[in-house]
Amino acid sequence: MSKPLEVLLLDDEPIVGKRLKPAIEKIGCVVEVFEDPIKAVERMDQKSFDILVTDIRMEGMDGLQVLDHVQKNSPRTKVIMITGYAKMDLAREAMGQGVFDFIAKPFRPDDLRKIILKAAKALGVPMDFPSQDYESTEP
Amino acid sequence: MSDPIEQKTTATHVADSKEIPLIQGPSMSIRVKVTISFSLFFILSAIIIGWSYGILTKLEHKIEFLEISGKYMVEIQQARRFEKNYLLYSTNLDDALTSLKKADAIVTSNSDKIEKILSQTHYTTMVSYMEKYHNQLLLVSRVENNRNRELLVPQLRKFGSQMVDFGSELVQKEQNSVKRMFLLARRIPLYFMSALFILMTFVLFFLMRQLIVTLKRFMDYTVRIGEGDFSPILWKRKYRDEFSQLAEAFNHMTRELDHNRQVIVESQKLRAIGTLVAGVAHELNNPLNNTLLTASMLTEDFKTLSDEEKLEMVDDIVNETERSRLIVKNLLDFAREGETQRTLLEVDKIVRESTRLVANQVKLAKVNLIVKSEKDLPLIYGDQQKLKQVFVNLILNALDALETRGTGGDISINVKHGDRPDRVFITVHDNGPGIPEDIQDRIFDPFFTTKALNKGTGLGLSVSRGIIVKLGGKIRLDSAPGKGTTFIISLPTSGGGKLI
Repeated sequence: MSKPLEVLLLDDEPIVGKRLKPAIEKIGCVVEVFEDPIKAVERMDQKSFDILVTDIRMEGMDGLQVLDHVQKNSPRTKVIMITGYAKMDLAREAMGQGVFDFIAKPFRPDDLRKIILKAAKALGVPMDFPSQDYESTEP
Repeated sequence: MSDPIEQKTTATHVADSKEIPLIQGPSMSIRVKVTISFSLFFILSAIIIGWSYGILTKLEHKIEFLEISGKYMVEIQQARRFEKNYLLYSTNLDDALTSLKKADAIVTSNSDKIEKILSQTHYTTMVSYMEKYHNQLLLVSRVENNRNRELLVPQLRKFGSQMVDFGSELVQKEQNSVKRMFLLARRIPLYFMSALFILMTFVLFFLMRQLIVTLKRFMDYTVRIGEGDFSPILWKRKYRDEFSQLAEAFNHMTRELDHNRQVIVESQKLRAIGTLVAGVAHELNNPLNNTLLTASMLTEDFKTLSDEEKLEMVDDIVNETERSRLIVKNLLDFAREGETQRTLLEVDKIVRESTRLVANQVKLAKVNLIVKSEKDLPLIYGDQQKLKQVFVNLILNALDALETRGTGGDISINVKHGDRPDRVFITVHDNGPGIPEDIQDRIFDPFFTTKALNKGTGLGLSVSRGIIVKLGGKIRLDSAPGKGTTFIISLPTSGGGKLI
């Protein structure tokens, strides 16, 4: 593995970032956490991330607007959406815009780690993580 | 199976006891009153007619008597004239006797009629005067010599004038009496008219007050019931009549209506809960997610974490669980079924709790919801569940209205002092498209809706108005196309202004 994956995590619930940052760092990613979508977008203008994990419903700017922005400025970024509940029309709309995957609240850290590993594979930088728990459950 | 029957009997029992004011007082139906009034008219007419019949009969007798006594007077005066001729010119005395006989015949043949008018004594006196004169006349006719005749003449004159004076005096008296009776007979219709007028005025006034005023009251009741005020009619009348029965029927009807309204209020609430649940479930996902993530990481890194970090994570779990509990509690408070429970409430608090219930709908619609409240608001006395139902309805309506104009929009709720110290005002304003004037009158009608077939039942505003009216308040609408919509609720305060 050459260079660690860079992940931007955006959720307006502070605990989400606080707990997920160490969880994702464990699988060898570099994680930046944001609670304010506007600040997150500003940061993404400065730097291109490999993976964006964002909540859909936030104050100020919602996940779809963030997605829109990222697709324009950094099309290679894989976007993972966190949804509060499976609103299918919204999900389908987002899928059409090229979302990598969805994850519904509440979820375990492992659920997100599995999706990130999948995204790494798709990016062409497969990660070998010490624990095989994450790989073995893949279908 | 016996339970429902038992409950029903108890319910009827309770219902009956509520009607006690209606049952009190003796029974006096309108039919009886009308019958009494008409009987009074009949009795009055019968008395007057009987009276005037009596007077006319008596008058007839008196006139008959006057005719008879007129003839009698002619005869006795004739007799006296013959007597005078005999004494002056020594003519025949038999003519006087003949006239006197005629007079006697008149009196004897009409004795019953005369006795009807004159008393027995007067009749006897009259006859005795006539007899005395007759006897004296016979004595005079029998004596031969002039000197003896001279002795009898003064007595004869005396008896004669006594007889004539008595007769003419009686006739005069009866003539006067007849005049008086004629006058009376002429006045009877006038008396009758006046008595009739007084009686009619009285009856009219009485029945008017009974019928018209009471009917008017019942019309007012129907208006009141139409507006959703189902409080029972309290009867203050002295007597029990058809109207008290009608009032009982009204009370029975309003009880049924009130019961039905409760059912509608509950079912409308269930629908609102259905709408809220999706949002609340979503809201619940945040603390649940936080708890799950924190607990998972705590397990995963248990060996490597410091005690402080562990403690912080456990605190997070406790706080997030508490947050979940509050969300569920808020919804359960709203959803809990039960009888209306009135307590002292802070309106602004109720409003804020209602906005929390719809917080997710508001967030999803990207609408700004602002609640402002003035300081030192008086408490109100109400049912917090029902009031929340009203505010939730109004906010959900506002969200629907804002949705039609695309995303975004503002809803502002103001809680402020009323125009009177015993009132609190709550205004719910949205800057949506407004309500067209032609449907503003129908907006509170049950089943009236502008929403799509499966979106609205048309009960939200009707139920809201029912709730507000039951709490003694009012709700009205101020809207114009393009200017948004404002609902203004006025609620009575608990102390009736005494708190201020």
